[in-house]
Amino acid sequence: MISQIGLIIAKEWKLEWRNRSAIAGLMVYILSGLYISYLSFKKIADPATWNALFWILILFMAVNALAKSFMTESRGLQLFYYTFLNPQVVIIGKILYNGILLFLLGLITFLFYAVLLGNPVQGVEMFLLAIFTGCFGISSVLTMISAIASRAGHQSSMMAILGFPVLLPLLIIIIHLSKNAIDGIEFSVNIKYLTLLLSLNLIVPALAFILFPYLWRE
Amino acid sequence: MERNKLISLFVLLALLPSVSMADVEMADTLRSDGKIYVVVTVLCIVLAVILIYLFSIDRKVKRMEDRFKNK
Amino acid sequence: MHSVWKIVCVLLLFYTVIAGFLLPVPALPILNETIRNLYFHVTMWFAMIIHMAISIIYSIKYLSGSQLRNDLKAEQYAITGMMFGVAGLITGMIWAKFTWGAFWVNDVKLNGVAAAMLMYAAYFILRNSADDDTKRARLSAVYLVFAFPLMMAFIYILPRMTDSLHPGNGGNPAFGKYDLDNHMRMVFYPAIIAWTLLGLWITSIRIRIKNLWNETNL
Repeated sequence: MISQIGLIIAKEWKLEWRNRSAIAGLMVYILSGLYISYLSFKKIADPATWNALFWILILFMAVNALAKSFMTESRGLQLFYYTFLNPQVVIIGKILYNGILLFLLGLITFLFYAVLLGNPVQGVEMFLLAIFTGCFGISSVLTMISAIASRAGHQSSMMAILGFPVLLPLLIIIIHLSKNAIDGIEFSVNIKYLTLLLSLNLIVPALAFILFPYLWRE
Repeated sequence: MERNKLISLFVLLALLPSVSMADVEMADTLRSDGKIYVVVTVLCIVLAVILIYLFSIDRKVKRMEDRFKNK
Repeated sequence: MHSVWKIVCVLLLFYTVIAGFLLPVPALPILNETIRNLYFHVTMWFAMIIHMAISIIYSIKYLSGSQLRNDLKAEQYAITGMMFGVAGLITGMIWAKFTWGAFWVNDVKLNGVAAAMLMYAAYFILRNSADDDTKRARLSAVYLVFAFPLMMAFIYILPRMTDSLHPGNGGNPAFGKYDLDNHMRMVFYPAIIAWTLLGLWITSIRIRIKNLWNETNL
């Protein structure tokens, strides 16, 4: 099972790499978003605004990146999956791959963001941890939503309509956590947000694991 | 912050009744006049009308179900 | 002719209105007589949560058995739940204006409820976008079951971690003590049952009409 998940991740990466326009498009998306915010803000003095803008950029990038997660698959590939793999492997593999992708893109965003708009973060390792858990949480929610939306048609608008209400609770916790990280608040205070976030990171993929087979039958 | 002010206000206000119960203004005149019964009667009638309407819808659906079964 | 629970519902509703206005309530500043809104506003939320929980149960039932009548029930309970949600939101805004000074305050419970209602709005949009019955039923059931735990985290766990203006939460624990008043309890619990039964009654009529509709269209 684990080797099969690895297979899925490797295949996703190969497809991504073969057709580099998607990932290049995302990079351009991030950079232009950052540059627009740089032109309009120059420097952001207020940490709360800094934080909010950062997560809004990540959120929209994530919705864009994951919308295609199930859309680009051809009929033949789906048939191949259907015959040789079980659905749980596919969804877990995709969640992990998307999580890694989002985390890397999130790191790049953070880097350029800090360079362009100033870096008020005091607890950097805490902030990176927030990006890591946050990106995997967002990935596990949006991958599943993308699967639902791809079955429903009207892909891009459905993705936002279905995704945002479900992401809201997750985002509030992430924003609390990263705000505390920016203010350099001690680890012992943050632990409650972190445990909640980690437990959601376990619960949501578990739900996807249970529910995805129902979307699979078509 | 505005919210913290509000919260401390509420904590304070929650502790107040134990200190001074009589100072709080309630609609006591409305009650002693007996006019509160007017309000309650009106509300009961409104409620009664709505519920009778609901009962009649219920009966109509029941009749339709019966007719459908007999067909 | 009519079943007993409808009679119970009627009696409890009348009891709520009569006792709710005539029984004594604790005299609290700011709230004054508006504390009686507890019987009419807070009970809306309880009725909403109960209806939404029932709708989740029918969604799970649908997923395990693929019977369309369970999907129909899930939808109808969700609609009634949404109705209570709208009523609760509007009454809450009016009450908030006169006690907290604004129609909308940034409070975790308000945000949670707003997110839950957005989620249900997305649920109805999803239902409308799918073209055939079984697909619609399957997609919407998966979405509801997937989103529900996150909503629970939002409505039940998050308010306990942060401050709330609502009684019994972080910032103002002492304020919750009016719940313990025995006179209020005597009305509050029957009021919850009364409004919930009313909702169940309306839903049962809706389900029966839908069934008739489906049967005549065969």
